[in-house]
Amino acid sequence: MVGPKVRASIDPDPVLQAPKNRMCPNDPAAQVRRTHASRSAIRRVALVLAVTLAATACANPAPPRDDRRGGDRPEHRAGDGPRERPLRDFAAQPYPSTYVPLPRHDTLIRGATVLDGTGRRLEATDVLLHDGVVAAIGPGLDAPSGVEVVDAAGRWVTPGIVDPHSHLGNFPTPYTAEDAQHSDVNEDSDPNTAQVWAQHSVNVQDPGFSRAIAGGVTTVQVMPGSTNLFGGRTVVLRTVPAPTVQGMMFPDAPFGLKMACGENVVHAYGDSGRFPVSRMGAVAGQRAAWIAARKYLHDWRRVAAGEEHRPPEPDLKLDTLAGVLTGDVRVHAHCYRADDIAGLFGMAREFEFKITAIHHATEAYKIPELFVREGACAAVWSDWWGYKREAYDAIRENAAFLDAAGGCVAMHSDSGIVGQRLNIEAAKAMAAGARAGVRVAPERAIEWITRNPARMLGLGDRIGSLEPGKVADVVVWSGDPFSIYSHADRVYVDGALAYDRKDPAHQPLSDFELGQPSLERRP
Amino acid sequence: MTRVVVICGLLAACAVAGAGAAFAQSSSTTTALVHARLYTMQDNRPLENATVVIRAGKVQALGPGLAPPADARVIDVEGRIVTPGLMSAGSQLALVEVGSLADTRDHSVASGALGAAFDVQYALNANTAMLDLALSDGLTRAITHPEGSPVAPFLGQGALLRLGPGDTLLERSRVAMYVRVGGGAAAGAGGSRSASWSLLRNALEEARRFRPTTGAGSPRDQLLGRLDAEALQPVVTGRMPLAIVADRESDIRQVLSLHDDTRVPGILYGGAEAWRVAKELAARRIPVVIDPTLNLPASFDAMGARLDNAALLHEAGVRVAFAVSAFFRTYNAGSGMRLGAGLAVANGLPWIEGLRAMTSTPASIFGLSDHYGAVRVGVDADLVVWDGDPLEPSTSALRVWARGVEVSVENTRQHALAQRYSPLRKADVPPAYRR
Repeated sequence: MVGPKVRASIDPDPVLQAPKNRMCPNDPAAQVRRTHASRSAIRRVALVLAVTLAATACANPAPPRDDRRGGDRPEHRAGDGPRERPLRDFAAQPYPSTYVPLPRHDTLIRGATVLDGTGRRLEATDVLLHDGVVAAIGPGLDAPSGVEVVDAAGRWVTPGIVDPHSHLGNFPTPYTAEDAQHSDVNEDSDPNTAQVWAQHSVNVQDPGFSRAIAGGVTTVQVMPGSTNLFGGRTVVLRTVPAPTVQGMMFPDAPFGLKMACGENVVHAYGDSGRFPVSRMGAVAGQRAAWIAARKYLHDWRRVAAGEEHRPPEPDLKLDTLAGVLTGDVRVHAHCYRADDIAGLFGMAREFEFKITAIHHATEAYKIPELFVREGACAAVWSDWWGYKREAYDAIRENAAFLDAAGGCVAMHSDSGIVGQRLNIEAAKAMAAGARAGVRVAPERAIEWITRNPARMLGLGDRIGSLEPGKVADVVVWSGDPFSIYSHADRVYVDGALAYDRKDPAHQPLSDFELGQPSLERRP
Repeated sequence: MTRVVVICGLLAACAVAGAGAAFAQSSSTTTALVHARLYTMQDNRPLENATVVIRAGKVQALGPGLAPPADARVIDVEGRIVTPGLMSAGSQLALVEVGSLADTRDHSVASGALGAAFDVQYALNANTAMLDLALSDGLTRAITHPEGSPVAPFLGQGALLRLGPGDTLLERSRVAMYVRVGGGAAAGAGGSRSASWSLLRNALEEARRFRPTTGAGSPRDQLLGRLDAEALQPVVTGRMPLAIVADRESDIRQVLSLHDDTRVPGILYGGAEAWRVAKELAARRIPVVIDPTLNLPASFDAMGARLDNAALLHEAGVRVAFAVSAFFRTYNAGSGMRLGAGLAVANGLPWIEGLRAMTSTPASIFGLSDHYGAVRVGVDADLVVWDGDPLEPSTSALRVWARGVEVSVENTRQHALAQRYSPLRKADVPPAYRR
């Protein structure tokens, strides 16, 4: 059951990289180099722990970082030669986060049943939130003066839920006649729109954000839709509403690239006689794009190495794909069928990039060994199926079977309704596993909606579990989070109370819903 | 009631009501479930330590501590919850195999003469994989309804299904006439919901004036075709309810005035804002079939959607049943509905009402309470033994009886796939050779 835990983007460039054991997907070194010097010492400790765990889990640990690192980042190029220049930063963020945590004060949550997201279940346990991070976790903690004490006896505490596949904001409610004409979720003007960024489509007034946080969701990855071979870049948001998308963006979250295989692409284009009209066309379209991206990266590398003085014309589309090839942009691929998924894994090997996660993956259970070998996560529903041909073989045991094989599983929503209840998605998936003889304990299943999706987003070192030094994204549940009757009573984001079921002052309401007559209760 | 039943059982002299057993293979055997926590739906509280005797497809006797008949096959359910088989008040079961594939989908017509006359009964497919899964989730009855027709605002006529073994899927056709109004549905009426209401009122009026002998030569100013006018006869004579799909309060108020003007019995479907009109709906005894998971304004029509819709409606005295969103009308029709019921209960609906909304309430709305919906002597033996609280999504049906015959909850395509790929199974041969 000790599967690949630490996710990292492996530098795929064969020239710049020593051979590595592809059987072990863990690349703690890559994870380390992602960290910024400004991170807290405590966080570094947590990272080292994670690295240690990963190394233990891997029979052939990756070579030391110094042997592996050729240098895509400026800091690694220093001193290599006077003519050399930093490689173009394909993952530069010209529209960075302006998110500021809500006002907060230190909080001690007392006496809860804690599922900490690292596989532990702790009874009658206290959690101390200090200055936006988890300061301590354990029984009978002292209450520092001035701390707010929340009596959580009989209640459960988990990390904030992470939804790795959301369309909040870019497929917002209400759905209108205008959305039927042209939606903001798919730039379906061309099968390759790797140049578009989901962050430029987010309507922050989507009432769905307020529902998500009421369901204990603190972080979402908003994806472009699936009509395109390359749908564009994803964006990671806090569910704390703000008037701008930058105000909701998770600071310094890595970019993702949405890819898609199968029916949606073929229908979106093939139905009107455009390329691709078939699955083989879809794969050919993706391979051609990677060839172009490889050349683009190569050209920029020649410039960086001083071998070429005229830089290529900057290209937003190729920037995204080159960012994947350098390991700076994480691949999230929409794919259902086992054969299609295996095709994508093959493509990743051919062009030497890493697939972070297959989304939907309704047939992951047919090829768990491939997921484990490739170190890819599967982001799945508990039971969606039947609405299209490629979802015909979905089974409810999917998550549990993949988990049992050592694969990395996350529950995802793809829906503003399901996204309010990822805990129940996990509950259903657990129950299905148990009926099939594959038991998954609650302290393990909670990872499907906390730690694993956090890692998928490249944020596993910051969120997804309750450990000293980690960001204080915390949910206090009225009871067992896997029961339909339980509610998220209190939701903390960055240590600040962002939702309180009992207090309207801590319940966000979108501008869209403000003052709507139909929402008022008549006397 | 309980006492009478017990006496009846003790005397072992209860007549089997409704002779003509559904299943020959079961008619000779008697089965007794013992030690059940039985929710009969006749009472808010369960019968503890209950026995249910099944014979000839019917419930022959029941009561707490009742000794099973000597010839009965006794099944000890060990204190587990037993309920009636569940009923979906709004599915598209047996009409859709794969939602995206038009050639496997019969729930709507896009062109042609049929509007009100579009009747789904001739398309029902008893071999769809969706039915086995629904049955294994404890669903033994379902309304299956049309989705659209070219004659606005009509969708067509729905049917009542009974799930289970045998060639008896269609229990009753033409159970309701479906109509949709609202922002998204107005296009078919020319662009305004006002036109939808005018067309509906006109259709009812034309149907009222319609005479079969003159049907073929209708006056030129009649909009309805002969088939549609005929199809509306049971509606205008009060024998078939008008099931109106509408979410916005203004449309729900139109449902009320149409009811007041025509006295046509109505059922409200959707009803995202029904809680705002709860008292008025209750006063007219108009039941509401809601999607209990809806708490987002999916459209402007559903601006007032909220999770305590069911609770508020029930509080006002409205009969509530469930039809979970489009996604669960075919696949997961049973489990999706149970999740919705649990959610309604988590948001204020009394637990027993959550269960009623999946059993006795839809039975009463669609007129099958005489043989389904509660557990009492003489009704069809549709029973489910649950491995926990049936309103918890993590609970599953352990055993299911449909009209007295036990059906295997493992008899699904999904189960076969899970068996084939189970990690507990030795993968010594390729999957295609694993049976």
